[in-house]
Amino acid sequence: MAEGMFYNVTGGYVEGIVRGYRNQLLTSQNYGNLTQCETIDDVKLQLGPAYGDFLASLAPNPSTSALADKTMDKLVAEFRYLQANAVGSLAKFMDYLTYAYMIDNVALLITGTLHERDTRELLERCHPLGWFETMPVLCVATNIEELYNSVLIETPLAPYFKGSISHHDLDELNIEIIRNTLYKNYLEDFYKFVNEEPGIAGTPTATVMREVLEFEADRRSINITLNSFGTDLSKADRKKLYPNFGRLHPEGTLMLSRADDPEGVRIAVDGVHDYRTMMDQTGMGGGGGGGVGNQSGGIGDEGKSLEDLFYQKEMEISKLAFTYQFTHAVVYAWVKLKEQEIRNITWIAECIAQQQKDRIGNYISVF
Amino acid sequence: MALPQSAYKDRQFLAVIGDEDSVTGILLAGVGHVTDPPDSQKNFLVVDSKTENSTIEGAFDSFTQERKDIAIVLINQHIADRIRSKVDQYNEAFPSLLEIPSKDHPYDPEKDSVLKRVRKLFGDE
Amino acid sequence: MSSGAGREPVFPTRQSLQTMKAKLKGAQTGHDLLKRKSEALTKRFREITRRIDEAKRKMGRVMQIAAFSLAEVTYATGNDGIKYQITESVRSAKFRVRTRQENVSGVFLPQFETWEMEGTSEFGMTGLGKGGQQVQKSRETYTRAVETLVELASLQTAFVILDEVIKVVNRRVNAIEHVIIPRTENTISYINSELDELDREEFFRLKKVKNVKEREKQRSEKESRSHSDKENEQVDSQGGGEEGGSNVLGDDEDKDVIF
Repeated sequence: MAEGMFYNVTGGYVEGIVRGYRNQLLTSQNYGNLTQCETIDDVKLQLGPAYGDFLASLAPNPSTSALADKTMDKLVAEFRYLQANAVGSLAKFMDYLTYAYMIDNVALLITGTLHERDTRELLERCHPLGWFETMPVLCVATNIEELYNSVLIETPLAPYFKGSISHHDLDELNIEIIRNTLYKNYLEDFYKFVNEEPGIAGTPTATVMREVLEFEADRRSINITLNSFGTDLSKADRKKLYPNFGRLHPEGTLMLSRADDPEGVRIAVDGVHDYRTMMDQTGMGGGGGGGVGNQSGGIGDEGKSLEDLFYQKEMEISKLAFTYQFTHAVVYAWVKLKEQEIRNITWIAECIAQQQKDRIGNYISVF
Repeated sequence: MALPQSAYKDRQFLAVIGDEDSVTGILLAGVGHVTDPPDSQKNFLVVDSKTENSTIEGAFDSFTQERKDIAIVLINQHIADRIRSKVDQYNEAFPSLLEIPSKDHPYDPEKDSVLKRVRKLFGDE
Repeated sequence: MSSGAGREPVFPTRQSLQTMKAKLKGAQTGHDLLKRKSEALTKRFREITRRIDEAKRKMGRVMQIAAFSLAEVTYATGNDGIKYQITESVRSAKFRVRTRQENVSGVFLPQFETWEMEGTSEFGMTGLGKGGQQVQKSRETYTRAVETLVELASLQTAFVILDEVIKVVNRRVNAIEHVIIPRTENTISYINSELDELDREEFFRLKKVKNVKEREKQRSEKESRSHSDKENEQVDSQGGGEEGGSNVLGDDEDKDVIF
């Protein structure tokens, strides 16, 4: 592969750093130690080598959310460093990564503006990775139309609004529909980017990212379908939220759009082995909806939920991404792995804080 | 000893004063209500470390005295502690005041104003 | 009037004696009834307090499970913004309570009942793309937790009201026992003593009258004896008066009734 020869010219440094970061990720050995902790302070101590200075400012026995914030700070700091060193297609690639967080932030801001909340307070709640330059300007927007015309248009997300959401929709549509429409447009755009961008098309990056994004698209389609049962969302509207690519596309998504119950979803995903196995594992479909609306309310949950399995799958894909060389995908994979690690830490800390140790093993570790 | 019907007839909402997690969870159950504009009032208050005690007291007074449509006021115990004297003084039947535990602060029956009264009544037996 | 030494401001007549006796009887019956009511209420009250104690402890556990389900939501969505979104998307309460009354020994205790508005939840679509199942699960857990809380609130309201009612009833029982009954008894004994006094006065008066009459009689007899010889004709006219006097004495001699 010829591009391998030249990849290191632009992307070599960043790739090297990311591989270094990857080696810092907690291993199952670390997780094993974490689950033995009795207090959050112990957890903090165990995380010492991996997170170091970032946890230093935490008060003794911090709340789990404070701990999560600090771990997130580290991810953000590292990501910023990579971003600062990225050039060319890699820089653009990393911008794409942040768009996903921007969508969440924008959804948050729209909700806040709709309810005339203090936008300064909102900014604090925004995901730091989804920060964009014009975001503070939102403080001046007082109504939706202003928000749409003067702020959203200026964001990188503007193309995702264009054509599918007008400012009237912001007022009327459920925020979840807006969020998912944006996300669908984003995924499609990202997919197009990895396939067509000159620096990326035909490289291992495209190969890996296609798999990742297809999985992401399928996951969203399945989740949206499952979660829309029993809501006002019509089938036609639901169909509009499915990304137009992925392993389920087009037959699977068509069947998903017609599904009325988890059984229908199971049939729809039958063609793809991975998803079928997942559905079988959760006991969804076939054996009656055991996975949805579990009545036990947190206790005695049998095994893992579909979401857990999706996360598991995502982690495996991300782990495999590191087997490729000369690819931007490792950055994506690392972010995902790191995010999962933060979720794991939060989960373990939460279990310890709330003395629910029997569920502490529900974290996902791939290393 | 029947209370006048007006004392509780219109009371159909619950009100919550609590930290973000508690409020979110209880709102998730469908408790939340925002009255119609122009003077839209919420029946919940999210308290964090930056919230002033006076804000909490204001919400407490509003829920317990001003508003006539609230049947039950739920308050996180650690927040009740911040306005303890006010909570201890309150002994009306309507709205009913309930101290609830929060995620980070397990429930301590010793502090509960009602349980304190229970103990006072039966403590010496 | 504060102590049992006081008495009602009544005239010591036989009629008011009857009234007081009736009042005393009424007070005693009332006392017994109230005492029994107070006992019934106290029994109920103790039961409620015991249940509150239990329920409060149970609440601790229920809320913990619920809080944990929210932790699962945060885990699944991997995003803290969801909480904010939930608190902000609130419009109209679906979960409401209504109040019903329960009659316990004449006391109306309110009982909260939960009911749900028609229509789908506002949070049906929350977490549509990610974590929706956890959100719904957490919603159910919290709904049950809030139901427990409402139950507890009913108990607690009953507690507050019963506490108040029992205090009032006990106050009444004590008032009857320590004020009304002694005072009525005082009044009765006062009336009795007054009436006795009157009786004695009356007796004394009658005795005086009798003495006077007796003396009169003796004198008139003496006179009649001395004059009988010389004024035999006059006796006829005076005899009529004598007969009237003896009639009065005859009445008075009916002593058995009085003594």
